[in-house]
Amino acid sequence: MISLTIDHKKVDVPEGTTVLQAARKLGVEIPTMCYLEGYENRASCLLCMVKDNGNGKLSPSCALPASNGMDIVTQDAEVYKSRKQALELLLSDHVGDCEAPCRMGCPAFINIPKVNRLITEGNFIEAYKLVQDELAMPLVLGHICEAPCEKVCRREEIDTTVSICQLIKFVAKEEAKNPAALLPEKENTKTQTIAIVGSGPAGLTAAFHLLEKGYSVTIIDKNNEAGGSLRTEKRSKILPQEVLKAEIKRLETFGANFQLNKHISSQQITTELKQSYDAVLLASGAEGAQILEELKEPSETLKSFINPLNLETKISGVFIAGSLYKQQKMAVKAVAQGKEVALAIHRYLQGLSPEKMKRMFNSRFGKLNDAEKAEYMKEAATYNQLQAASGSLLGYQAEEAIKEAARCMHCDCRKVDNCKLRIYADEYQADRRHFLFRERKSLVKFDEHEEVIYEPEKCIRCSLCVEISGQDPASPGLTEVGRGFNVQIDVPFQNSIKHAIKQEAEACVRACPTAALSFKEAERNKEFS
Amino acid sequence: MDMTQDYKRVVDAILAEFGRESHQAIPVLQAIQQNYNYLPQEAMDYLCAQSEITPAQLYGISTFYSQFRHNPVGKHIIKVCVGTACHVKGAMQVYDGFKRELQIEGAADTDGLFTVDKIACLGCCTIAPVVQIDDITYGHVSTQKIPEILEDFLTIQSQPKKAFIANEKVNRKKQGEVRIGLGSCCVASGSAEVKTELERTLDTNKIEVDVKHVGCVGICNQVPLLEIHKPGKEVALYTKIRPDEVSTVIKKHFKPRAWTDRFKAQLYGTFEDLVFKSVPLTTRRYNPEHRDTPVSDFLDQQIAIATEFRGVLSPLDLEEYKQLGGFAAFNKCVSEQKPKNIINQIKQSGLKGRGGGGFPAAIKWEILYEAQSDVKYIICNGDEGDPGAFMDRMLLESYPFRIIEGLLIAGYAVGATEGIFYIRAEYPLAVSRIREAIAICRKAGYIGKNILGSGFDLEVDVFEGAGAFVCGEETALIASIEGKRGMPSMRPPYPAEKGLWGKPTLINNTETLACVPWIVRKGAAAFEDIGTKNSKGTKVFALAGKISRGGLIEVPMGMSIRQIVEDIGGGIPDGKSFKAVQIGGPSGGCIPASMVDLPIDFDSLDEVGAMMGSGGLVVMDDSDCMVDIARYFLSFTEDQSCGKCTFCRVGTRQMLEILNRICRGEGRMKDLDVLEELAETTKSGSLCGLGKTAPNPVLSTLQYFREEYIEHINGCCPTGKCQELIQYHILDTCIGCTICAQRCPTQAIAMAPYEQHMVQDADCVKCDVCRQVCPVDAVIVKPYD
Repeated sequence: MISLTIDHKKVDVPEGTTVLQAARKLGVEIPTMCYLEGYENRASCLLCMVKDNGNGKLSPSCALPASNGMDIVTQDAEVYKSRKQALELLLSDHVGDCEAPCRMGCPAFINIPKVNRLITEGNFIEAYKLVQDELAMPLVLGHICEAPCEKVCRREEIDTTVSICQLIKFVAKEEAKNPAALLPEKENTKTQTIAIVGSGPAGLTAAFHLLEKGYSVTIIDKNNEAGGSLRTEKRSKILPQEVLKAEIKRLETFGANFQLNKHISSQQITTELKQSYDAVLLASGAEGAQILEELKEPSETLKSFINPLNLETKISGVFIAGSLYKQQKMAVKAVAQGKEVALAIHRYLQGLSPEKMKRMFNSRFGKLNDAEKAEYMKEAATYNQLQAASGSLLGYQAEEAIKEAARCMHCDCRKVDNCKLRIYADEYQADRRHFLFRERKSLVKFDEHEEVIYEPEKCIRCSLCVEISGQDPASPGLTEVGRGFNVQIDVPFQNSIKHAIKQEAEACVRACPTAALSFKEAERNKEFS
Repeated sequence: MDMTQDYKRVVDAILAEFGRESHQAIPVLQAIQQNYNYLPQEAMDYLCAQSEITPAQLYGISTFYSQFRHNPVGKHIIKVCVGTACHVKGAMQVYDGFKRELQIEGAADTDGLFTVDKIACLGCCTIAPVVQIDDITYGHVSTQKIPEILEDFLTIQSQPKKAFIANEKVNRKKQGEVRIGLGSCCVASGSAEVKTELERTLDTNKIEVDVKHVGCVGICNQVPLLEIHKPGKEVALYTKIRPDEVSTVIKKHFKPRAWTDRFKAQLYGTFEDLVFKSVPLTTRRYNPEHRDTPVSDFLDQQIAIATEFRGVLSPLDLEEYKQLGGFAAFNKCVSEQKPKNIINQIKQSGLKGRGGGGFPAAIKWEILYEAQSDVKYIICNGDEGDPGAFMDRMLLESYPFRIIEGLLIAGYAVGATEGIFYIRAEYPLAVSRIREAIAICRKAGYIGKNILGSGFDLEVDVFEGAGAFVCGEETALIASIEGKRGMPSMRPPYPAEKGLWGKPTLINNTETLACVPWIVRKGAAAFEDIGTKNSKGTKVFALAGKISRGGLIEVPMGMSIRQIVEDIGGGIPDGKSFKAVQIGGPSGGCIPASMVDLPIDFDSLDEVGAMMGSGGLVVMDDSDCMVDIARYFLSFTEDQSCGKCTFCRVGTRQMLEILNRICRGEGRMKDLDVLEELAETTKSGSLCGLGKTAPNPVLSTLQYFREEYIEHINGCCPTGKCQELIQYHILDTCIGCTICAQRCPTQAIAMAPYEQHMVQDADCVKCDVCRQVCPVDAVIVKPYD
């Protein structure tokens, strides 16, 4: 037996054990990408670096044999930096988007490519649910959204953008056909109550997400009808009033109380509302700005009155959102902020410290070059944007929606949820541009294989697929080709990947730490992590 | 016979010779390429079908090692050496020049006649820049000479080979001995032609002398050399001799037997001064016995251990080697010494590995000696890949018996059962010399079963490397012998514990083994007496670059840079001043002129950010750009990285990108910080020695020449080396001769007879031809305004 210490904890392991295995035995987590138990230690990604206090040297723990008396550190500034730099180097040579540009461009962060995939499959209800996960009022926004997503849609670089907004409207109208509203499941009911002043897009959205969290919510509005700016504001697209009413009705069905025709003064906020409710959200729009002046100390600026981290005012438990906070030109931005503040209120009510809503690490590579356009079009219908036969106000019929959604090029990564590179880049706060000094490589998608798609520019050269595919003597498998920076995993003699991997294909995809090898069918990649 | 049948026949024959096991892939592919000049796909398919070699293994290997090609090439291959010495003398301009002259876009020219290739280092650094077309080597190449070289080559090709058959030997009294160097530098400089001419002269004139082929003398900048030994006379040494001068020289020393020739010889003698004055540059005559001559300066300060009896030993003459003490050490070992004693002697001598790292040799030997295993390997590492280093090549070519003896002693001491010489395929002469020497030794009973009746068995074989610098690293070297891509793996386990085929394996550098017989023969103390506290003995260096007398030198450890550059090398030529010396090649660093008194040993070099490396020593003058040098080495390591670990694969590339940017004048001050960070990261994070040392050229130039980086960032390359930062300009001293305009490959200079010419910068490709051909030196290089 060999006895060593890892992070000051003593562990005994048999001879031939690596430091990584010893650490795992202790329950000490060390990140790995190229390592897979049962396969050769290739020590190529070097993410599993640890420090040997005996000689001060950094070594990859996956290949470092444990030896007697070793004193290993798995977490200190030096180790952290080395891992971060390894990630940044890998990212400097990684061409691919994690999330599609449309989703990144959507203030509400709707998973648009997946919505499109579901529509293409004719699964409109699941598509609606997915929209609703991020967007409280799909029907309203489907009508009036400024659709910043369409402005960054890569399809625009080919011909015209995918009509994302119309597709959202379509699934919302499909949902509306149901006799019962399709509402999300609520979390456990909570005893706390929240008052929301103002029933514009921010207020309604916050109400929806707080209801979803299990709180009881009262929406107060000075007007006799809910909707705030949605009722009055001039927009480039038409919002039929029955649409707004239907959406408000849905919210009522979900459990919101409305107190209309009720004017709230600044005094009432600090007394009445503060006393009766556990939290208050002010979302009374731009014209209610006077209230803020009254609430804050005269010497105070608005900036110092509001904590930008969680939109809480200096008055504890009183939050702010929508145009009252900052003029919102786009309804969807007000909606996004409504969701953000709902989560902040939730954290406040749960006694958690304020935290800025943070999106996960995201790789993005910019515009497509001509070669890449062809690669991207491999996954999309080639025809131009479809105009709804019954006009843009009424929007698509089912067949039209299916056809239009098929134009989506699916710019999102197939392993967006379980790519190790992304997960660790997020954990180590890696900066993808830190070591980026060269023109990026051109992205390629090899799609000749029945089940699997190969994107070499996402490969980190761990070679696990080479070893795994080599176990099947009946197919030629994969091999490392070339040397140095230009090493690439390829099929021997540049043949097609179609017949290169057969029965080992699934194992290769599972082992691949990134989306270099993934199942064509995006959802299948989620089966493992 | 159709090609399919031919492939089958060839592949079958090769498999019959090498066997069908997958680990034979590299020699098998080498043999197939030998046949077709490339690897035809049909032959590959047949090979995979007929052997254990899989397509994945084959393609992985063939794309890893530079030697292999999957596409046919031109009939003649032009190899432009881009080693360090050639680089600093304009190799890239030469390479571009050949491609331009032959209008080559892709691999071969349109007629399929020529292919232009870069080659890491031909090891002829002293006659840089060097270009090899097939087996003909041209030295001192410049862009303006390219048309001339191609013409010359094609002329030689069109002539039927002049077969020279020597007359039957008649045993008469010999008048003396003529020694001719046949090392690679010598051959590259035309010594084979000199040899042919010599034999012809001797034969037609019936002169009876011994012609002796000796190994490298080390005075590589003066080759070809001809040394004339006559009983009772001083030795006469002729340097840079040309074939057409041979007969004159020979007849000056030896009386021809035919009376007409004797008469001519007397006549020549009369005009001796005249003859030599007319060719003063090529046929300088030195007398090594004389003091104060360049040759004596060059040789006197050296100590020959690894190169003992240089210029005397005939490489493949076993009897002579034995007469001069060869195999005495090995005989002593097997007859009267216990292995442990031998190891102790090596330990006492302080011998450290000469391959770069400087690891004490005896420690490795001890581990191996202690290891319990039925099979133990010993490998002589001759995979010398540093651009600018040719020590191993010269040692293997010139002293094959000494290296074999070293290997035998080490093998006996550690209990090895099998020995392998790993020699890079770019050194064909070294490979064939070692092969022949092994055969001779086997016949003489030094190799095989029960050697010299001692009961010690050792089989020795040769493995040819296939063109991958990283295979100089022990674990990568082992991987390549096992028929894999030469990718290093993590140490420990060290090869001494778990090496080739998982067995304990001793890997020693060629020069290390060359020192072993001397130590055993003369005693450890004699070796220990030489050198410095922690670096004992001598070190062989390849001295090249901007130096008056380049060549192979062996000096005691601790000799200062000044002694080497000024005393041995004769200083910097052409009135330039000494700027820096690059030691250790891509793993080493640039030491500035201000540290000229630094004694060179393992520790001192480490302290100043350089490294012994394998011993390339390239001298640079004030016209060399240090940023360009850093970029040069990094582009080498980046290309040679095996591509396995993240830090080396991506780190070297991104460093190179930053350097490219700086050399283009697009750098920013912030880049220097990131460059330094990346260098440190790559150094500490990389898995093997290649990556761990690759940043050294960058770090050392950043340390000692930071201001030069800053000047580049400010848009100026002070030495005018970085093409994107310079322009060609014609001064008003131009006489309007139009030669530059005529020779300009891109019409960037308009023809203007009797007027001052102008270079149109937009069209200029900076090939330097105009500057080289201008008869009045009116073409200059200057920074952009």
